[in-house]
Amino acid sequence: MPPSLSDIVEEARLSARALLDYGEGFFNPTVRLGVTGLSRAGKTVFITALVHGLTRGGRFPVFEPYASGRIARAYLAPQPDDAVPRFAYESHVRTLVEERRWPSSTTDISELRLVIEYQRQNGADRTLTLDIVDYPGEWLLDLPLLNKSYEQWSAESLALSREPLRAKLAAPWHAHLATLKPEAKEDEQAALTEARLFTDYLRACRDERFAMSLLPPGRFLMPGNLADTPALTFAPLDVPIDGSAPDHSLWAMMRRRFEAYKDVVVRPFFRDHFARLDRQIVLADALAAFNAGPEALHDLEAALAGILDCFRIGRSTILSALFRPRIDRILFAATKADHLHHQSHDRLEAVLRRIVAKAAERAEYAGADIDVVALAAVRATREAQVQRGRDKLPSILGTPASGEVANGEILDGETEVATFPGDLPDNPEDLFNGGFRGLSSSGAEAADYRFLRFRPPKLERNGDAEPALPHIRLDRALQFLIGDKLQ
Amino acid sequence: MNEKTPPRRPATFKLDDPGVVLMDPDDSGRLSRGAIQIVPEAEPAQLPVPVDAPLLPARRGFRWGTLFWSAVAGLVVLGTGLGVLNLVEDLFARNEGLGFLGLALAIVAAVALAVVTMRELVGLTRLATIEKLHLRAAEVLISDDRAASRAVVADLLKLAHQTPQLARARSALQSHTDDIIDGADMIRLAERELMTPLDEEARRLVSSAAQRVSVVTAVSPRALFDVLFVFVASLRMIRQLARLYGGRPGALGMIRLLRHVIAHLAITGGMAASDSLIQQMLGHGIAAKLSQRLGEGMLNGLLTARLGLAAIDVTRPLPFNALPRPALTDLAKDLIRKREEEQ
Repeated sequence: MPPSLSDIVEEARLSARALLDYGEGFFNPTVRLGVTGLSRAGKTVFITALVHGLTRGGRFPVFEPYASGRIARAYLAPQPDDAVPRFAYESHVRTLVEERRWPSSTTDISELRLVIEYQRQNGADRTLTLDIVDYPGEWLLDLPLLNKSYEQWSAESLALSREPLRAKLAAPWHAHLATLKPEAKEDEQAALTEARLFTDYLRACRDERFAMSLLPPGRFLMPGNLADTPALTFAPLDVPIDGSAPDHSLWAMMRRRFEAYKDVVVRPFFRDHFARLDRQIVLADALAAFNAGPEALHDLEAALAGILDCFRIGRSTILSALFRPRIDRILFAATKADHLHHQSHDRLEAVLRRIVAKAAERAEYAGADIDVVALAAVRATREAQVQRGRDKLPSILGTPASGEVANGEILDGETEVATFPGDLPDNPEDLFNGGFRGLSSSGAEAADYRFLRFRPPKLERNGDAEPALPHIRLDRALQFLIGDKLQ
Repeated sequence: MNEKTPPRRPATFKLDDPGVVLMDPDDSGRLSRGAIQIVPEAEPAQLPVPVDAPLLPARRGFRWGTLFWSAVAGLVVLGTGLGVLNLVEDLFARNEGLGFLGLALAIVAAVALAVVTMRELVGLTRLATIEKLHLRAAEVLISDDRAASRAVVADLLKLAHQTPQLARARSALQSHTDDIIDGADMIRLAERELMTPLDEEARRLVSSAAQRVSVVTAVSPRALFDVLFVFVASLRMIRQLARLYGGRPGALGMIRLLRHVIAHLAITGGMAASDSLIQQMLGHGIAAKLSQRLGEGMLNGLLTARLGLAAIDVTRPLPFNALPRPALTDLAKDLIRKREEEQ
């Protein structure tokens, strides 16, 4: 698609903003950390744990500025954007520590600014400002839409929905779609029904048993304040990719609304929160995909590849910092590593490396530093060896959330269990070649992997001070993401 | 892990099931066959992180001292060159034969100087490599980074190539480099494989130097000889240790090494004084009561051993982690045993 006028205007706005930021950052260096991840990947928990660790003090032996004592203190400061809600850090901490629940799914965007006071290695006192944004992961799926026309998107969505696993879920929508004629006169009721059925299909795909990731447009699942507006009332039609819509047809209406969706929803979201990032961490929940099956794994791969294509990645230069900020470090993190024994972390990393291989290669080619890590921002389990007859199973101990099913029994959320989730293969390719069974194709008894959801850990309180949250490799992630800015 | 075993099925055990027994990590008692035993592992997050005293004080700022000495050295070289040039010219003016002789000697001297400088430089780079390796290994022990650990081990193998008695240990380590081993574990493995024979040898070197010092200072007639002998013996010991662990210090390298050893001694000295040294000194106060010379000799020997331990810390390419650090008490035992045998 050749760049349209709106694209060029958009580009100019981004550059102007970048220039302004550069002027501000000259005296008060700011790092915009993009916490990227699909829904349920653990963005909110990651941000909460990061802020908690830095402000209250945590165990970060690998995070050099912190471990060597050069960070004097870190505190929350008023955020820069007045129109964006504040990240409810305090209530998230309370949920985690006192109620031992994970924060509920994020429904709207929020922002937080963290100021780190530190001393440079040569002795000079400095501050570093860290801006972090939290948002519903579903919205991220919209970014790839920016480069697509309505017809392209329709064709892709339809092709995807006709894959065997999804076709079952999409049956009602497909049935309704067959009754529609794209060239017919525009009809609000037909559009409404169509959008509703399409949304139902997307929602069904997200179920734990299928754990599909590639479900654009994201606002259909998490509408925010735009629910029921025309911009959210459209759906794919069976139209040719290179055709043009007749005036006042259903097709033209859908197409107009698709464009409106991009203008009203996607572009501002990208402009305000993603175009100006310096560092990025991409969180991916590979374990949910292992639970569900090979299809979910492929879906995760496709979704991440589409999203990462939208970011501006590459080595930072003065010119790029002035007009077109680039992301010069990306960390790919497989979250919830505490659901596996640490002996398997290397294999989990290998799987993630394979999932993001294309994106990582492209980023490296552009000159950005990349790293892959298996981490748990809040560690919910302990490790144990289970001896069953002759077998020795490297397992984990923890309290599963209430409602989780183990051995056909529903747990109440208080019982502690030891669980061995299954052996990850040495070679990640084995997983991608469909070599395992998940919940989507078989019952819970036959699945090759079973990762239970655990409750946050019980923390021992030491006097009045709030306890430090245990983690796995959060310090390594911090060192990679901002360690060099704190030299 | 054996690749031929089929992947194991997922399994979950409730802790309050009657068939499940929760065991203590330290408790290794066997239970009946049917029971499922669960042994919680020590949490790495709750294990104490070893904090080592930094080997070298952090350098900061521009090094004016180095600049000064470099400039002075340059001037001296220029001056000497000029003097030699004048001398050769004078010789030519007096007699052609003498002139050629002088020229030849000057060239030989220049070539020899170049070679010596080269060797010094190589020695210094090797020392720097070892120091860097030590720091990198210490980092990996904390960060557990696999890729970095592989790099450290590769460099270590290159370094160990010059020590023939490590051939078997080297090949053993080489065979492990492709296994799935976490970063820190890899370093520990390398330490166990490569450093065990070297550590033994180092301990022997230090204790023999300490013995020599204690004997000589006990019988030497003058304090001046004592001082001289201790100095020479310490230098020799440090050089031997450096060679043992793969460094080849020349004169400049020795100066640098000596500085680091003393700096390290200054950092760790406080700790040592608080524990073993005081105890040793008090113990050997009895020896001193018996004979003043004997006590002095013993004390000097212990101080030499202490220096040797600091030298081991500085010259060893890996930090002590999997293997125990040789303690002063061990060396002191060697010293006393030797003394008793002699008596």
